[in-house]
Amino acid sequence: MTRRSFLRTSTVLATGAAAIAAGLAPLRKIGHYSSVEEFLQKQYKELSPAEMKVVLTRIEGEVERQYGIRPHVRDYKPMSGVQFVYALNLSRCVGCRKCVHACVAENNQSRNPEIQYIRVVKLPNDGSFDLESGDVNYTPKSVPEAGFFYMPIQCHQCHNPPCVTVCPVKATWQEADGITVIDYNWCIGCRYCEAACPYFARRFNFATPSIPKEQINPKMSYLGNRPRYKGVMEKCHFCIQRTREGRYPACVEVCPTGSRKFGNILDPDSEVSYILKNKRVFVLKEELGTHPRFFYYFDI
Amino acid sequence: METERKTQVVLAVLTMGFAALAINFVRVPARAGVEKRAPLILPGSLAIVPGTIRVSAAQLVASGGDASGLQCYACHDAKKPPEIRYDANHRVVLPKEHLDLIYGMRNCSECHTPDEGVKIEYNADGVVIIPDAHRNLAHMAHGRYLRNEDCFNCHVSTQLDHLHTPEGLVVGLDQATQLCAGCHGTQYRDWESGAHGRRNGYWKSSAGPTVRQECTSCHDPHAPAFTPLIPMPAPHSLHDPRRNPS
Ligand code: HEC
Ligand code: HEC
Ligand code: HEC
Ligand code: HEC
Ligand code: HEC
Repeated sequence: MTRRSFLRTSTVLATGAAAIAAGLAPLRKIGHYSSVEEFLQKQYKELSPAEMKVVLTRIEGEVERQYGIRPHVRDYKPMSGVQFVYALNLSRCVGCRKCVHACVAENNQSRNPEIQYIRVVKLPNDGSFDLESGDVNYTPKSVPEAGFFYMPIQCHQCHNPPCVTVCPVKATWQEADGITVIDYNWCIGCRYCEAACPYFARRFNFATPSIPKEQINPKMSYLGNRPRYKGVMEKCHFCIQRTREGRYPACVEVCPTGSRKFGNILDPDSEVSYILKNKRVFVLKEELGTHPRFFYYFDI
Repeated sequence: METERKTQVVLAVLTMGFAALAINFVRVPARAGVEKRAPLILPGSLAIVPGTIRVSAAQLVASGGDASGLQCYACHDAKKPPEIRYDANHRVVLPKEHLDLIYGMRNCSECHTPDEGVKIEYNADGVVIIPDAHRNLAHMAHGRYLRNEDCFNCHVSTQLDHLHTPEGLVVGLDQATQLCAGCHGTQYRDWESGAHGRRNGYWKSSAGPTVRQECTSCHDPHAPAFTPLIPMPAPHSLHDPRRNPS
């Protein structure tokens, strides 16, 4: 080997190694691959029950390390014969935002930077119904304010969800009971779903979420309210950890005016069945053909 | 020969340049995020309070709370029904003894959590002072046109601790929903099927109890219009000046 060819070969090799290292550098910034097991974890639907158990235990450990509190993480499955539907009475809602904050507390949403699944839009009560002219930052002394009505918006759990169609890695899908879920360990954070959603329902973790230890809700679900990672999407999942146990979502529990209604549309005696039969219901942006499971209605 | 050498020199320089760039790129540490953290949500606003601000007689009795305020004959004479008094405008005068008996007896901590810092104040007699946020019953005001002010439209004059409906059904104070149903059939029908008012607990009744909130859990029977609420904090956007004070 000549000196020249040695130099040439080693320069090429060094450059190659440096380029690979540079290419992999962003991986160092992804904080959430805490272990090889996590990096190699399969997609949710491919996990066997035994593998799921291992994953849940691992996640409990991760949460405990990060927040200093041992949670109970479960994988809640859809109930058979159940299709969830949500209805919201626009003539009752007063815009007090109790639902927003109950949702934050129940679902371990990041406090800083702030993530909230529900946006309450204040709209002029002049018949125009123009969402663009809405205000989400209203802060009067008391609500409701004369001349306005309030429209809370969250994930509509569409029958025909554009967010699922656009996901390049199948990290989000629709379950048998109608809830569209996200596998936070599978999401690559491309935010296509956020762009595809016509209801602005999806939220992205631009930074590592932070939640004070004493405000952690330790009852967690894999597809629901376990703490999220930096760089993944999240959104309303109808409080999977409550509703798949038969309970009402947190936002329904706290609504002082009783504007929020939730239940199984396949049960003819449920309140949502009554509302869809007897009230004037409508869905938001019907023309897009998303077929939301979230209905708005007016009394009388 | 000349051109070949030149090419090799240029290539070597380029390669070294790229190598230096690549090494530099690897060595530059990940840029530390801007770590300016301000509390974004007011402490205390997180507790899930049972959104309804009122305690009904039914809830009070069911929870085994102090229901002595409902014992009308502790003050009144069983043989002599109280006389309703009117002011100059012919409005019913509500005696001050009747200002929200239900709240005065109530344990505040049932709805408020300690970190909310709700102060409990007492008057000289050791009775809880009802905060303005809870004071509904300042005057009789049933309906926009005050057409249902007469106490004995609802209370039985000879049996003060009972209520009667227009059809003559007599029920206890903790069964007010039956009373309201007598005059507000439409709302009652909606309430029965879950469209008016609120249900708590379980949507699936085989999994656990479904609690239907009584009419008086939300409406003060004496002033049933819904009281205005203090809104909880608005969202803070990422670029909010409150978050990054300069
Ligand atoms: C803490 C004592 C107290 C209790 C308990 C009490 N009352 Fe009274 N009530 C009064 C006083 C004092 C008045 C005013 C003087 C009067 O008319 O006797 C009054 C007046 C009334 C009046 C006449 C209203 C008016 O315009 O003056 C009615 C009706 C009445 N009470 C009903 C009731 C009923 C029903 C209950 C039980 C749910 C009840 N009260 C419990 C003290 C009490
Ligand atoms: C039935 C549940 C309940 C009970 C019992 C209760 N509260 Fe409240 N309280 C509430 C709710 C709900 C609010 C919020 C009102 C709003 O949003 O406007 C509130 C608001 C308040 C406020 C105003 C807080 C603010 O932000 O300005 C004070 C003060 C207060 N309560 C004190 C008390 C005291 C003292 C007691 C005991 C006598 C008590 N409460 C009992 C539910 C309750
Ligand atoms: C629309 C029907 C109605 C009218 C009119 C009415 N009440 Fe009542 N009252 C009720 C009901 C229902 C309750 C049970 C309270 C509950 O469940 O919160 C009650 C409870 C009471 C109580 C005990 C609890 C409390 O809130 O202090 C008193 C005292 C009382 N009423 C007095 C009066 C007086 C005095 C008048 C007339 C000025 C009157 N009521 C008019 C329906 C009525
Ligand atoms: C004796 C008949 C009668 C009974 C019993 C009765 N109401 Fe009413 N209610 C009325 C009338 C009359 C109005 C007034 C309608 C109007 O003026 O617009 C009214 C109005 C109302 C309103 C509308 C208030 C507003 O300012 O818009 C509410 C809410 C209400 N009642 C709730 C109740 C509840 C809750 C009960 C049971 C505790 C009840 N009512 C029992 C007759 C009754
Ligand atoms: C979860 C709380 C809640 C319960 C429980 C509830 N209501 Fe209401 N009700 C409301 C709200 C909010 C309004 C809106 C009116 C307002 O802004 O004052 C309302 C309005 C009304 C009105 C006025 C007319 C209308 O439809 O707007 C009547 C009458 C009424 N309710 C009767 C009842 C009766 C009767 C019951 C029990 C069978 C009952 N409510 C139970 C929250 C409640």
